[in-house]
Formats: sequence, structure tokens, C-alpha cells
Amino acid sequence: MIKLENISFDHCIKCTVCTIYCPVAQATHLFPGPKQSGPDAERLRIKNPELVDASLKYCTNCKRCEIACPSDVKIAEIIQNAKWKYVKVHWFRPRDFFMSRTDLVGGLATIFSGLTNFIINLKIMKVLMHLFLKIPYRRTFPAYQRGTFTRLYKKKIMKSQKGYDKRAVFYHGCFVNYNNHSLGEDLIKVMNALGYGVDLVKEKCCGVPLIANGYIEKAKKNAQYNIGSLGKTGDAVIVSTSSSCSFALMHEYPSFLELDNSSYIDRLDYITKFIYDEFTAGNIPQMKPVGIRAAYHSPCHLERMGGVIYTLGVLKMIPGLDLVVMNSECCGIAGTYGFKSENYEISQGVGQNLFRLIEKAEPEFVVTDCETCTMQIEMNTKYKVLHPVTLIAMALEEKNEGKR
Amino acid sequence: MIYDCVIIGGGLAGLTCGIRCAEEGLRTVIISGGMNSLHFSSGSIDLAGFTENGSVVKKPFEYIKGTAAKKKEHPYTRVGIPTIRKSLDFFKEKIFFEGITLNHNSDYNHFHVTAIGAVKPTYLSQESVFSSRGKDIIKSGAKIAILNFKGFRDYYPEQTAANLKQHPLFKNSELILGDISLPYYLHTEKNLHEFRSTDIARIFETERYLPRIADEIKRAAGDADAVSLPAFIGINNYREIRGKLEAMTGKFIYEIPTLPPSILGLRIDHAVKNSFFKHGGEYIAGKKIESSVITKGIVESIITGSRGTSSEIKAKYYVLASGSFFSGGLQSGVSSISEPVFDLKVKGDSKRSKWYSWNFFDKKSHPFLSYGVETDSSLNPSTQDGKTVKNLFCAGSVLAGYNPVKEGCGGGVAISTGYKCAERIIREIKK
Repeated sequence: MIKLENISFDHCIKCTVCTIYCPVAQATHLFPGPKQSGPDAERLRIKNPELVDASLKYCTNCKRCEIACPSDVKIAEIIQNAKWKYVKVHWFRPRDFFMSRTDLVGGLATIFSGLTNFIINLKIMKVLMHLFLKIPYRRTFPAYQRGTFTRLYKKKIMKSQKGYDKRAVFYHGCFVNYNNHSLGEDLIKVMNALGYGVDLVKEKCCGVPLIANGYIEKAKKNAQYNIGSLGKTGDAVIVSTSSSCSFALMHEYPSFLELDNSSYIDRLDYITKFIYDEFTAGNIPQMKPVGIRAAYHSPCHLERMGGVIYTLGVLKMIPGLDLVVMNSECCGIAGTYGFKSENYEISQGVGQNLFRLIEKAEPEFVVTDCETCTMQIEMNTKYKVLHPVTLIAMALEEKNEGKR
Repeated sequence: MIYDCVIIGGGLAGLTCGIRCAEEGLRTVIISGGMNSLHFSSGSIDLAGFTENGSVVKKPFEYIKGTAAKKKEHPYTRVGIPTIRKSLDFFKEKIFFEGITLNHNSDYNHFHVTAIGAVKPTYLSQESVFSSRGKDIIKSGAKIAILNFKGFRDYYPEQTAANLKQHPLFKNSELILGDISLPYYLHTEKNLHEFRSTDIARIFETERYLPRIADEIKRAAGDADAVSLPAFIGINNYREIRGKLEAMTGKFIYEIPTLPPSILGLRIDHAVKNSFFKHGGEYIAGKKIESSVITKGIVESIITGSRGTSSEIKAKYYVLASGSFFSGGLQSGVSSISEPVFDLKVKGDSKRSKWYSWNFFDKKSHPFLSYGVETDSSLNPSTQDGKTVKNLFCAGSVLAGYNPVKEGCGGGVAISTGYKCAERIIREIKK
């Protein structure tokens, strides 16, 4: 039986607009494009799963096809589903297993962060990983920090958050927890300036890398854990600094994993939407001119959420920020996709347009919302990448800082 | 109030309106649900192509002047000739800065060739479709080579040639057929038959292939003076590529639109969007408007997204440029036509059997094509109870009172009504 809700491919009118805007199809002829891999092939796959075509693996799930589609076909979802539904993945894949267990790897890596960072950047280690794990030699890894953000919060920050009446829960995600504590600290500084005390709750990886690597059951478990945890936060607002985590918590849980997230969905926002709403309601902390020229890159998943206008709206309210908004292009890394040898060339190929735009803009910094876009841009250009929240934190007046 | 102007719909009408508003410094946002139908268009702008009885219009402005007085509800009547002229000049200028030149045949229509080789009147075309040199070449009865990329399935030169031979314009021309190919692409991983116009455009955009493409064109075209190719000679820098190929081959190069994706249309889309962004416009892609709030004839806000993920967007002025049935700007039920965003008053028969003609190619066309939102003379629509909505304007094919297919005027109406809405809003805000 074909489930009724899964027949959005029937709305496809074969206009091929999605394929024009597919970054992978632009970079390689190996991928026939979202139309053919999605709605076209799905009709055949439903009849006979043997008709699954190996080129599905090239899809990065960037969702630009869904944005382009004039007929509202959930193209990326169809492809993502087909990737794992029809292909039985039996064998143990060490690379994909570890790459998708961000919690496990991050947890271990942060214990001996200095050693981890040293080892994974050793040439010999990179060669070995290239040969045995198929992780591309030329890829730079994000550095791990000492300890987790959760521990830092409990030790140093928690106490200072008591004094605020308004409460916000921060879903920090793996990147802040293991790789970038300062973004978490910036978030707390900004939330405090807006008059919110920040709480953390128990959380697991949102599931995006698990879905991308085919561990759907594990992703469901994580999602259920997060739904349980976030659902019990009363009427506090929930914010996240990761555009892809937000996308998963808001959209992938109900539509792809088919889980009920109604216990928190009304209270959850990606951070810039939350800040934008506060700013427009008149709650604007004092900011000093930052005097920075920055180029803004919009991540694919934020585009899909329609969240780019809020980030831009917030950035435009930071005094002294000379902002160059670049034409929307995919950076090519697509989470764990670009960390795999077989995708490395494509990933770099996709990103070329963006790298050129960045060089042309001649900024001091690049600004983007997404952690893996940050890795890709920092590896391929000479610029440091900042999160919008970090920029706001930089603009906040000293006295707001003193509050903490 | 957050925005000065929210435009619903990112097509020709919405973008023209958006560029004009953003240029005046208004905080403007366009909300679009999926890519616009420029991607399926010929890339030429029709102003007025056919008269009531189906004959070709020679001088479109004169024709509009003549019929304008008779049809009060026609969008052209609402806009007026001076503003139509101004809007087209504005449009031409804006996309010229983005690298696209639109030519016109002084005040006359010119002809362009469609994907199946039909010859149709239009008003504005890209250089590769209409230019004075191209006009001279056709008039002189020169030899024309109609070429295709070997294996490309979205265009058939035999059909083009057969249809062109029947047209008086080409009665003196000698037409020959041919294929070009690239050796490298015969060994590609992808089947050549799967190549779409955009794939081939990328080959043309690769600088190092150009000399080989030029050799191929020379080989296939022989001693022909002019060459026609399906429109795939580059998306973003086609002018440069065309110039180089003409210099290398010594032949005039003409472009014919293909089946979708149409690159001639894509170029216009990219140019108008770039212009909109350059003027500081904001753009939300892939979002549908779920509901709206109207109180006492004033739109308070519109809401995108479903529960939990919805956002409310507010503005001083709103423009509805959501397109016709295909784009979802209008919806048809079993026996009703409706406008889904604001539930505005629409013009259309309630009897389904009256919507269409049994003959698909009926000379009188299908009545549903002229259905749409009814507006007053300043393009303000009204709600079902007949109350005018003062801060909402309508533009493009969501409007009632004209038949874009039968009259050949879709592009002109989109640009001129979009421009007119912008002018109205600018005037109100600057008051």
C-alpha cells in the first residue's frame, strides 16, 4: 500500500526547475538531479525497490530543490527517504558510524582535546584516515575544546542566570558543546542583555548527521529523547544557535521522522528569529558601533526555513556593520558529506562560486549561521567566520556585559 | 510597522514592483513560493500581440490606445499608456545594468521563433533573438543553418525548419539542418539524451571549449551566413560567449527558446533578481502564505508557515502578485474560483462548463484565462463583501479582465501593473 501522504511526487509537473538550482547537479554529471532522482524515480521505486539507482548518494539534502519547486513537492525528503528505505544497509561502516555519533566522538575528544587535535592533524594520521576510513586527506578538522560547554555552564555560568525572571532554554547542539564554547557564551551574553536567564536541559544530538548517514532508528531515539526533554520546560522559550539543529527540531522531527513535537514547537525559534522579534517589540539593548565590514552567507537549511530575513533583519540593526549580502549559494560541505573522500571533489566544486563571491566582497569577516558552512569557508578562504550572535555580543555595551 | 512593502509573488510583476520600491529606499520584501514562470517563458516580453479577431498587432501602443477606451477592466486601461511606456523603459534600463539588453523594433512588434518553429509577434527581445542585423539577414534571404546539439531532446530543428518554411518572412531564405557535438561529451558518464538546456549552457560557459564549439558550428553550418541554436549558449555571461562565437565563426548567431527550463527566461529572472538585491530588497523563497488578517479594509498582517513554525509579517502596504491558476494565485473548486491569500472578490463564471472551450486551440480562447481578482482603477481589490482594501494592490496575472494568451500581452501587463503598484505605494508613503 502506498501511504497517501507520501505522494507529493504526483504534484511534480516535470518542469526541471529544481535541477537548475541543484548545486550538486551543477558541479557533476554523476548526479542526474533532484527531479530524476526524486519524483521521477520514486514512481518506479514504489513498484519495485530494485530500481533504486546508486546516484542517490550524491544528494547532499541541502533542500534547494524544495525551495525552487513551484508545485510544493518534497523532493529532498523523497530522495532522503529512498536512500535508506530501499537500500538495506547491513555492513558496519566505521567511518559513517563515528561521523554520525557526534555525541560519542565529541564526548571522548573533549576529554583529551589537546591530544585529539594534535593527533587528527598529524600528516601520518591524515594519510591513514584517507586510506582506511576514506576521509579526505585535504580536509581540515574542527578543533575540539577542553571539556564540554555543559560543564563550563554548570561551573561558571549557571549561578549568574538566577537573577532573571524571563527564562530561555538554550539547545546548544554538538558544535557549541564540543567545538565552540565561545558561541555559547556569546549567546548567553546576548540573552542576558535582552533580559532572559538561560537554562540548559539534557539533550542529545539533533539527529541531522544520523539521518544523513542512514541511522534512522538511532535518529528517532535521539529525537524522542530531545522531545521529552524540551517538552518538559514549561513555558520557557527555546532557542538554538544552529540553523540545521533548528531545522531538525522544527521540521524533520514531524515530517521525516514522523514524531510529535507539539510539546515545544510553539516555543522554539532559531536564535535570529527570536532576537528579531524582541528587537521589533522594542527590546533593543544598547549597542556600540562595531566598525566591521562583513560578508553574509545564507546556509541552505536556513533558507529552507525562510529564516534568512530574520538574520538579515538583526544584522541590519547592529550599528557600524557594513554588510555585504552575497547571492545565495551552497558552500558544498553539507554536514558530513564533504568529510567523505568520494564526495570531496564535488563538495569543493559546489563551493567554488561562494568562495569567489567572498573574495570579491573583500570583507574583514564572513558571517553565517551554520557550523559546517563555517568549517568549509574557513578552510577555503582566508577569512574568519562569525556567527550573527557573536557579532551582536561584540556590539553590546560594556555595562550589559557587567550584568553577568 | 516592520516593512514598508510586502510583495506576495516573485515573478515578473512582483519583481518589477519590488525593484521600483527598493530603489526609492522603501524596506521591501518579496515572498515567493517556488520559482517563477519566467523559467518556462520565451524570455521575450509581449506587449500586445493579437487583436480581438486573432490577427497580428503591428503597433502595440496604438492598438492599446484603441482598445483601452472600450475595455474599462483591462489592466492596461487601469495603468494608462504613459505609465506603460515608463514601466517598460524602467524595466529595460534595470536589466541592462545586469547584462541583458532588450531590443525593440521602434514602436512596432517584431517576430520571434518559438520552440516548435512558430513565428509570433512580441515587443522586447534579447539581442540573440531580435536585432537590426538579424532583421537585415532574414530580409536579405540569406542562408540559415538551423543547428542542434547532438542528442539534445528538448528541441527538434527539423520541426523548426518545416514550420519556418511555411512562413512568408522566410520565403526567400534557404534553410539547412545540422548537429554540433563535442568529442569529450560523447564519453561522459551521463547519457547525452539526459542533457537539459542548463547542462549544455554550462559547456558553453566553459571558456576552453569555445574554440572547439566554434569549429563544430563552422563544420555543421558550412557556408550559411547565419546560425540558429537552441537557447543554451550560456546563462550568466551569454553576451560575451555569443560575441566570441560570432567572432570565431564569422556567422550571425540566433537563439530559439527550448522546452523548459528556458534559458532565455532564466536570464531575465536572474537579471531582475540581481537588480532587486542590489537595491537592497529582501527575498523569502519557498514560502506559502497561509492566512491573512484584514480589518476594516486594511490588511493588518500575513502569516507564513504552519503551526509552531509560522511567522507573522507586517507592512504598511501589500502587493498581491501571486500569479494565476498555475502559480496558485487563483484556485478553482468544483464550481467556484477563489483567491486563497486574502479571499478577495474574483471575476469568473460559477458554472464550470463555461470556464473552457471544448476545442483546446479555440480562436476565441478559454474564458478562464481572463478570470482573476477584480480591482478598482487604482488596482485596489475588494473583499467578498465588496469593501475596498486600501493598503493592498494587485499586479500581474492574478488580475481579471485580460487574456494573456489570446491577446499576447502577459509580459506587458505584469511589468506595467507591477510598476503602477510601486508608484502608488511610493506616492502614498512620501505623502
